[in-house]
Amino acid sequence: MSAKDFGFWLRDFWNDFKRERSGLVGLAILVLSVLVVAFEPLLLPWGEVNTKWRSIDYWQDNSASAPPAWTNAFRGEKLAVTTRLQPGKPEELELDGGVKTVRYDFSYKFSADKPPLDIIVHGLATGDVPVSVTMERPDGQVLELAQRFEQGLQDSDLRISLDNEGRESAFGFVKQFESEEALASITPDAIRSTDIIFNEGRAGMATEFKALKGEYKLSVTAMLLDPAQFKYEKPYVAVSGAVSGVLGTDNMKRDIFSGLVAGLKWALLIGLLTSIVSVLIGVFYGIISAYYGGVVDTVMQFVFQLFNGIPVLPVLIVVSAIFKPSIWFIISVMVIFFWVGPVMTVRSMALQIKEETYIEAAKALGANNRRIIFKHMAPILLPYSFASMALSVPSAIVYESSVSLLGLGDATIVTWGQILHDAMQGSAILNGVWWWIIPPGLCIAILGMTFAFLGFAMDKILQPKLRTR
Amino acid sequence: MNDDIILRVEDLKKHFQPHQTFSQSITGQKKRKVVKAVDGVTFDIRKGEIFGLIGESGSGKTTTGKLVMKLIEPTSGKMFFAGEEVTSLEKEALKAYRRKVQMIFQDPYASMNPRFKIRDVLEEPLVIHKLGGDRTSREQALIKALTEVKMNPPEEFLGRWPHMLSGGQRQRVATARTLILNPMMLVADEPVSMIDLSTRAEILHMMKDVQRELNLTYLYITHDLSTARYFTDRIAVMYLGRIVEMGPADMIIDDPKHPYTKALIDAVPEPESGKVDVIKELPISGEIPSPANIPSGCRFHTRCPYAKPECSELPEPELEDIGGGHLHACRRWKEI
Amino acid sequence: MEPILKVEDLRMHYHTSKGAVKAIDGITFNLMPGETLGLVGESGCGKTSMGCSILRMPSPPGRYEGGKVVMGGRDILPLPEKEVRKDIRWEEISMVFQGAMNCLTPVYTIGKQMLETLMEHRPMDKPQAEELIKEYLGLVGLPPEVAQRYPHELSGGMKQRIVIATALFLKPKVVILDEPTTALDVIVQAQIINLLKKLKKTFDLSFIFITHDLALEAEISDRLLVMYAGKIAELGTNEQVFGKKGPAHPYTERLLQATPLLHKKVGSLSFIPGTPPDLISPPKGCRFNPRCHKVMDVCREQEPPLVEIEPGHQVACWLCAKK
Repeated sequence: MSAKDFGFWLRDFWNDFKRERSGLVGLAILVLSVLVVAFEPLLLPWGEVNTKWRSIDYWQDNSASAPPAWTNAFRGEKLAVTTRLQPGKPEELELDGGVKTVRYDFSYKFSADKPPLDIIVHGLATGDVPVSVTMERPDGQVLELAQRFEQGLQDSDLRISLDNEGRESAFGFVKQFESEEALASITPDAIRSTDIIFNEGRAGMATEFKALKGEYKLSVTAMLLDPAQFKYEKPYVAVSGAVSGVLGTDNMKRDIFSGLVAGLKWALLIGLLTSIVSVLIGVFYGIISAYYGGVVDTVMQFVFQLFNGIPVLPVLIVVSAIFKPSIWFIISVMVIFFWVGPVMTVRSMALQIKEETYIEAAKALGANNRRIIFKHMAPILLPYSFASMALSVPSAIVYESSVSLLGLGDATIVTWGQILHDAMQGSAILNGVWWWIIPPGLCIAILGMTFAFLGFAMDKILQPKLRTR
Repeated sequence: MNDDIILRVEDLKKHFQPHQTFSQSITGQKKRKVVKAVDGVTFDIRKGEIFGLIGESGSGKTTTGKLVMKLIEPTSGKMFFAGEEVTSLEKEALKAYRRKVQMIFQDPYASMNPRFKIRDVLEEPLVIHKLGGDRTSREQALIKALTEVKMNPPEEFLGRWPHMLSGGQRQRVATARTLILNPMMLVADEPVSMIDLSTRAEILHMMKDVQRELNLTYLYITHDLSTARYFTDRIAVMYLGRIVEMGPADMIIDDPKHPYTKALIDAVPEPESGKVDVIKELPISGEIPSPANIPSGCRFHTRCPYAKPECSELPEPELEDIGGGHLHACRRWKEI
Repeated sequence: MEPILKVEDLRMHYHTSKGAVKAIDGITFNLMPGETLGLVGESGCGKTSMGCSILRMPSPPGRYEGGKVVMGGRDILPLPEKEVRKDIRWEEISMVFQGAMNCLTPVYTIGKQMLETLMEHRPMDKPQAEELIKEYLGLVGLPPEVAQRYPHELSGGMKQRIVIATALFLKPKVVILDEPTTALDVIVQAQIINLLKKLKKTFDLSFIFITHDLALEAEISDRLLVMYAGKIAELGTNEQVFGKKGPAHPYTERLLQATPLLHKKVGSLSFIPGTPPDLISPPKGCRFNPRCHKVMDVCREQEPPLVEIEPGHQVACWLCAKK
């Protein structure tokens, strides 16, 4: 069929497909998924999730098991949201002796009812660089929170956690308001700096938090003892909130939304690759078995029954446990079992087509077996396989998820099954971390449903066109 | 062998053995009987003639056609084509044979892949045998074939699908398809039986013109004696796997000698008035026996109105030449 | 004598996605008791649709667009389905369908299938029913043991006889036969035709015999209705169509010429050029005009009326209308 004829066939097919509402829903979700995968870099809040899923450093500024940010809408007392602050323009000051200071100002609008869990200042530093951090509160008070002097830095990330380093300063601040008795019961180590920094300055502030809402100005000043060689640049401030991101974080502080988005492409790949390859194998297997008949058919049917009878999931689990496989290995194993799907139907149809007069006519013209199979029989049966392919995708996705759920999946990639596995390991249910379990589960279900809809719609349309004449 | 003879078939037999199933071998059930579809057929076809093979269902005529086409292999007997033995052929020789002997099938609606355009249908033989040169010369060959079968304008039909053509047009395309390879002989199996009466003659005329122009030979297989008379030069009448009478068409129909041939001719309805109240005399009773259960002796004796005990006891009569190219296989013809 | 069946200006169209296929477009005829009316035509003339239409069973997407089918004084077209099924079908009119012999269920014996049909219409004791079945099998020339056989054990001729027996055992007055012998061998065909003639006499039946085989019609039909493109081309007696004078309509004439004579060789076969007409948009004027060898200008413009050129002989052709 030429390209133009294919175009006509497609237009015909589309006219029929348009009428299947479930198919359209499936198609819409599929298109959406493809777009998400295509624009993944733009959509990921955490761009390096694919490579850094298992790194501790990457996620360290997050809070662990933080609910999604939008849950604040359902709270009376709003929690602070994890966020990142970018600086304004740096202010440089020349001091005596050729020393320069560089100051970056950050503005943080605090409007929650509970404070963030930490404020972390990052900066890229080279050389011996003293850095100091001060915070100006809306009530005018200024806290000198941290002072650090690191030496011998080589383009290193200088990380200052204000919770850790600001304790002395916070305690000092509290002393201003609290009585001797109250102070006696607290030690600097016991308080959380942010509980104080964002607290209204008053008696009783050590035990009770009342949010001081407003604009907080954070200033980071670095002293460049040798401006030519020493540097402090690209600073940013991570506010570690109690709620985080679109879908919260897991117990390893990983952003779940990023994980799911990253996992989508693997789900699609696994589903599509497994189904396409296995169905193609199955279709041709059915055709060849039917066409040659006799001993060939008997043997092929026997082999088919063998594979058909083997339960895929247990085998997949055992194999994965033994070989600790990569995703390609898992896909291969699934292909080895999935090809049996279309064989019976295709074989029945092929048996019918084999008896058609035009096949006999082709033989009379001198066509060899290969030509009859590929030019006459396959073109009729392949469209049927499209429906079959769509219907195998959900199985493939779920099987891989099951394998990953058991901890046997490919450890180098992020899949939804793995996220679920981690959730189980992290006792998510026990701990009420619903945003860790429900989203990945929903994703698997929805994507499976999408392909099921597509498959059923295609099947409905292509079935009548399966006439052999 | 005569230079004149293009196809020679000698005592050709095709017996179908039904498989014995596994359960049958366990229960000791006897195998189902052998189906003797073709049971010793001998004839010659001369170059340039139209040879008709007449028979009803169960006569073995279609099977004979398939044997000649080598779509199935004979159980025994020999076949010669253009002087060479072709009873069993190797792959390459078989492919070469296919270029010389082609077939037109009965059902114009089923003999072409419905997904192939006419262009693809006609081009297929060229593709299979790797002939025809480049695209333009192939196109020319297709157009020439379509013109040969009087489908005008040829270019217009190349882009159509089979379902867009009428039955008659499809048979023309089917004929054109056979001509592309410049064959020497065509086997036509009931080529017009599924076509309207008013178009039948048109197709047959076209086939005759093609034959004359290209010097072809036809093996024309049919159950319709009436059209056979107008189309064929010689006829062979088959009954239950054997030829019972053979000779020039007019001679056979005007002066049949075998009781079966006579019965066949009498049974054919004629478009004439005055027959409505007539109960036709049909000396023949019953129906054709199954080819798995062939009667002893002369296989027609079970239905023959002239049968005597000798017809079932003595061995089967062979074809007897009674002059003028007229052969038949009835022992008692002189007395009837 | 009153006709036993009257078809008046019957119209039945198939409403397909491509348009209305005017398969039956104004057919009028009477069927007299004890006569065989032959309905002859080629593919696309509408004759097969006629059989089902007279039986009030147009195949979907067919729908009646007008006309009457009058049996026993009443028009059966507007009757409710229940009534048609109870009183008309198989009771007064029955049908032998094309390829019916291949529609016998392979898993039940012949006897059981016939019993089922019989009991559906006339509940009676089983022994009584079995007797009746044996009687009718005998009437069509089959031994009673056939009732114990399965369809695949029987030959084509035997199966067709069974179908005919099934069509008769409720004693209808009219039997429609649609290509009853097409799939059969010539000798068996002759046997069946003989059988039908005998049955007609014995039971005083009327037949509507539908076939494309003009020669066959000559042997069995008292009168002939030649259909073309959903309309009547010619309606006449056997003598008027097949007799020496020859038919009046050019189509019938050419059809006859295209029917080969076996016993006398008359020159070569002739054919009718062109293709069967498109029933969705038939040609303007006389529907046969594109293929007619005697076409005139008026034929292309106006449809010819059905004119009686002699008693019992109607023709729809401008050549006859003018006279």
